[in-house]
Amino acid sequence: MNLLNSCGASAGAKIKRTGYDTTALLSQTLLSAQQGNSPDVLIVDNPVVSTLADAGVLASNDQDSIDASAVAPNLLAAGVLNGKTYGIPIGANTLALYYNKTILSAAGVDPSTIKSWADLTAALAKVKAAGKGGITLSAIGTEEGSFQFLPWFWGSGANLTNLASTQGVAALQLWTSWMKAGYVPNAAIQDTQTTSWAEFATGKYAFAENGTWQLANAEKAGFAYGIIPIPSMAGGVAPAPTGGEFVTIPLQKDTSRYPTTEKIVSCLTSADNAFNTDTTLGYIGVTAAVQQKQATNPQLPVWISAVAAAKGRTSDNLGTNYPKISQQLWTAVQNALTGAKSPTAAMSTAQSAAAAATGGK
Amino acid sequence: MSQRKTWLKTGIGLVLTGLMLFPVYWMVNVSFTRDRDIRKSPPNWFPVPGTLEGYRAVLHQQEPYIATSVVVGFGTVALTLLLAAPAGYSLARLRPRGGGALSFVLLIAQMIPGIIMAMGFYAIFLNLRVLNTLPGLIVADSTLAVPFGVLIFTAFMSGIPESLLQAARIDGAGYLRSFWSIVLPVSRNSIVTVSLFAFLWAWSDFIFANTLDGGGRHLPITLGIYHYIGNNNQQWSAIMATAVVASIPATVLIVVAQRYVAAGVTAGAVKD
Amino acid sequence: MSDTTGIQAHPSQRDGGGAAAAVPPPSARDRSRKPAASQLAAWAFLAPVTIYLLLFYAYPLYRSLDLSLRNYTVRSFVHGHAPFSGLKNYRIDIRDPTFTPALLHTLIFTLVSIAFQFVIGLGLAMFFVQHFKLSATLRALFLVPWLLPLIVSASTWSWMLNSDSGVVNSALHRFGFAPVNWLTAPKWALVSVIIANIWIGIPFNLVLMYSGLQAISPDIYEAAALDGANGWQRFWRVTFPLLRPVTAVTLLLGLVYTLKVFDIIWIMTRGGPAGASTTFATWSYQLSFGNLLPAFGPGAAVANMLIVMTLIFGFVYFRIQRKQLES
Repeated sequence: MNLLNSCGASAGAKIKRTGYDTTALLSQTLLSAQQGNSPDVLIVDNPVVSTLADAGVLASNDQDSIDASAVAPNLLAAGVLNGKTYGIPIGANTLALYYNKTILSAAGVDPSTIKSWADLTAALAKVKAAGKGGITLSAIGTEEGSFQFLPWFWGSGANLTNLASTQGVAALQLWTSWMKAGYVPNAAIQDTQTTSWAEFATGKYAFAENGTWQLANAEKAGFAYGIIPIPSMAGGVAPAPTGGEFVTIPLQKDTSRYPTTEKIVSCLTSADNAFNTDTTLGYIGVTAAVQQKQATNPQLPVWISAVAAAKGRTSDNLGTNYPKISQQLWTAVQNALTGAKSPTAAMSTAQSAAAAATGGK
Repeated sequence: MSQRKTWLKTGIGLVLTGLMLFPVYWMVNVSFTRDRDIRKSPPNWFPVPGTLEGYRAVLHQQEPYIATSVVVGFGTVALTLLLAAPAGYSLARLRPRGGGALSFVLLIAQMIPGIIMAMGFYAIFLNLRVLNTLPGLIVADSTLAVPFGVLIFTAFMSGIPESLLQAARIDGAGYLRSFWSIVLPVSRNSIVTVSLFAFLWAWSDFIFANTLDGGGRHLPITLGIYHYIGNNNQQWSAIMATAVVASIPATVLIVVAQRYVAAGVTAGAVKD
Repeated sequence: MSDTTGIQAHPSQRDGGGAAAAVPPPSARDRSRKPAASQLAAWAFLAPVTIYLLLFYAYPLYRSLDLSLRNYTVRSFVHGHAPFSGLKNYRIDIRDPTFTPALLHTLIFTLVSIAFQFVIGLGLAMFFVQHFKLSATLRALFLVPWLLPLIVSASTWSWMLNSDSGVVNSALHRFGFAPVNWLTAPKWALVSVIIANIWIGIPFNLVLMYSGLQAISPDIYEAAALDGANGWQRFWRVTFPLLRPVTAVTLLLGLVYTLKVFDIIWIMTRGGPAGASTTFATWSYQLSFGNLLPAFGPGAAVANMLIVMTLIFGFVYFRIQRKQLES
C-alpha cells in the first residue's frame, strides 16, 4: 500500500509491512507479543480486536491518542471491551443479497417484493422451476460460515446467548430446507465467500449472499445485477454483521515509539486517506464525512444504509465469548446442512457446548 | 511372442501411468482454461478454447518465488548432508555407546507434527532474529529430512563390506579419512537419494514457510500459490499455472537423477 | 548400549543390511565393541546432529509439553504466569465429543492409506521391475505426483472432487451414476482425503519397493523356477521374505508420515464437514490456530497424544519386527 509508505514518510518513519491471513495473523500477533516484539501498527479483522485487547496486546485509546469519536457506534462496538475502546475501524463492510437481473426477470420474480423469508423461498422455488440455481452462500466450518449465517440468525429474532431458541432453530431450518430443496449448491458446505461468489459469477444462480467487497467483481461479472438487503423472518431488513478492519496500536515496552505510531495512525484514518483506502478495498467509510463522499457513487447508498443497520459480532456484551459461541454456531450449521443432525438437535448440542465453553463467565 | 508380450506390458504400463497422472493432466488442463469456463458443467476435457492468461500471470509475478524455492531447496540439501552423513557413518560403522538410543530418538523426532515444530521455531527464530529470512527457513526445512537422512545413510553404510574399510585401516587411514575417501564416495548413491528427498520436501513445504517466512521479502513458491488461492478473486488458471511451473524444476531433477534413486536404496555401491 | 534401547535401535541397521540382500554385510552384527578412542570418534561424528536435535526438536517438544500442562488463556500466553493445571487439558480433550471420532478417523486414515499405498506400490514395483520398453520412462513419470507441493495436489484433488463442477462427478454422470458429494457429505469426506493421500503416497512406496526388488539376485529366481515354483509361489516363498526388511522400512516411514498428515486434509476439507474427516493432526491445529480464540493448551495436549499414539504404533511395529527376526 502506497498510503502506508506516504503516511510513514510524513511521520518520519520507514514502514516495513508484513501481511498475514486472519487466523495466522492472530497467532503470529500473540506469539510476537509473547516474545516482546509486537509490531507498531496492527491492522486486524474486527472480531479479533476484543481477543487481542483481552490478551493485553493492544493499547487502549486512553493510553494513546487515537480519536475514534467520529465513528458510528455500531461500527466501533467491535473494538470496545470492558468500557475501553481499542483502535479505530478503517472501513466497514457487511452482507446483502446480490441478484442476477436476467434470471429473476426470466423466472418472473420482482426483487423489490422480497421482504421476508417466505418471499425469498417462494422466489427461489420459481427460479428453480425455471431451471436455474437458487442462491450461493458460504456455510464453511470457519468464522466465515458464522458471518454468513448471522443475518438469518439475527433476522429470526434469535440472540447469540441462546443458540437453541425456537427462532435460532428456525433460521437453521431455513438453510437446511433450501439445501434439501436444491436451492443452495451442495458445495456451499465447504465454500468460502470467495468461492461462493465465483459460483454466482458463472451466471447460473439467481442470488448470492455476499459482501460489499464484491462490488468491483460484480461489475466484471458480465450480467446485470442488483442488490437487496437480507430479509428478516417476519419481514423487513435483517441485521447483518459488520465486517472490516481495525487499525490498532500494540503495547510497546519502549513508549517513545508511540508518538510516531500515533502520527501514522491518524494519517491512515484521516478523512481523505480513509476515503481512498475504503474505495480501494471496497469498504464503506466509518464516519459520516467519508460516507458523504462515498454517497456520490450511485452503487454505494444501499451499502451505506446496510452498514448503518449492521451489528457488531462481539456486541450484546459478548466480547471474548463471541469466538467460543461462533465456533459452535458454524458447527451447528455444518451438522444440519450435511444431514448429520436435525436443526433442532444441532442447535441444542451447540448451545450446551457454547454454555460449557463460556462457563457462566 | 516375447516381443509381443513386452509391448503388451508397455501398453498396460501406459494405461496405468495415464490413470496415475490424470490429476496432473487435470491441473495442466485447468491452467489453460479460461476463468469463465472453469465452472462449466460438464467441464472441458481439453483446454479448447484455451488461454495463456495464467502463465502470463506466473511470468509476471512468480519468478522470484521460484528462485527462492531453488535456493531454499539447495540450502536444505547441503545442511541435511552435512548433518546426516557423518551421523550415519558413526551409527553404522563406529557403534557408539548410546547410538541405539540416538537412532530411536531420531525415529521419534520424525513423528513430531510440523505445527508443533513451527511454534517452537517461531520463538527461537524471533529471538535469533532469523524470522522471515532464508537461512531460518532452510534450518526449519532441514528438520523434515535430517532424521530420514540419518536412517538412510545408516542403512547404506552398514551395507559397505568390512573388507573395504579394513583395507583402508591397514593403509593407516583414520576415521575421518576413511569416512571422506572410502565411505562417502562409495555411498554417493545414497547421497543422491537423501539429497532428492531433502530437496523435494523443502520445495513443497508449506507449514514452515507460512509460519516462519510468511512476512519475508523472499517467499517460496508454495506461498506464491497460497496467496493466489487466498485472493479475493480466485484465478484458477493462474493457480494451476503456478503449480505446473512449480513442478518443472523438481521433475527435471528427478528424471535426471532417476537411476540414482533406484540404485540408491539397495546400497549396491560395491558393484561399481 | 543397554539391551532395551539396543533392541529398538537395531532395526534400522538390520534393515539396511537386509535391504542390500544381495550384498549382506559379512559380520555386521557380531563385530566386537570398539575401544574408547573409537567411542570418541563415533561421538565426534554424531555431535552435530545431537546438538541439532536438542536445539530444534527437544525445545519445541518441551514447549508443547509445557503448553499442555498449563491453563493458558490468550492473556497468560502473552504475559506468562499460566498456572500449572496438571492433566486438565488432556481431560478436556478426552471428554470432548470430538475425541472418539478423531481417534477413529486418525486410525482409519493411517491404516487404510498405508495398506493401499503399500499394496499398490509393491504391485507397481513388481510390474516395473520386468523391464519392458519404456518401463524406465513410465516409472519416472510415476514419481510426478510426489513432486507436487502438497498444497497443489490437495487443491487439485479438491477441485476434481467438487460436488457441482468437479470432473469426477462429471465422469460418474457420464457412466450413469448419481453424483457424490465427495467433500461435503460426512460419509464421503474421509474417503476423499484418503484417496488423495494414497495417490500422493504411491510413488514413495514404489521407489522403495522397486529398489528392494532390484536387490534380489536373478539367480534366486532361477533356482526357484528350477524347483518348479509358479509365479504366485515364487512371490510368497522367495520375493516377499527377501523384501521383508525393505518392507519394514517402508511401512514404518509410511506410518510416521501418515499419522501426522495435516496439509492435505486441511486444504481439502478442514477436517469437516461437521468433523467427519477430523484427525488428531487437524484437531490439534483447529484448537490452536483454526478458531478465533486459540485454545493452546488443549491443542498442545492433542498434539502430544498424537505423538504418544505414534510411539505406540512404533513399539507394536518393533515388537513384530523382533518376533519375525527371532523366528
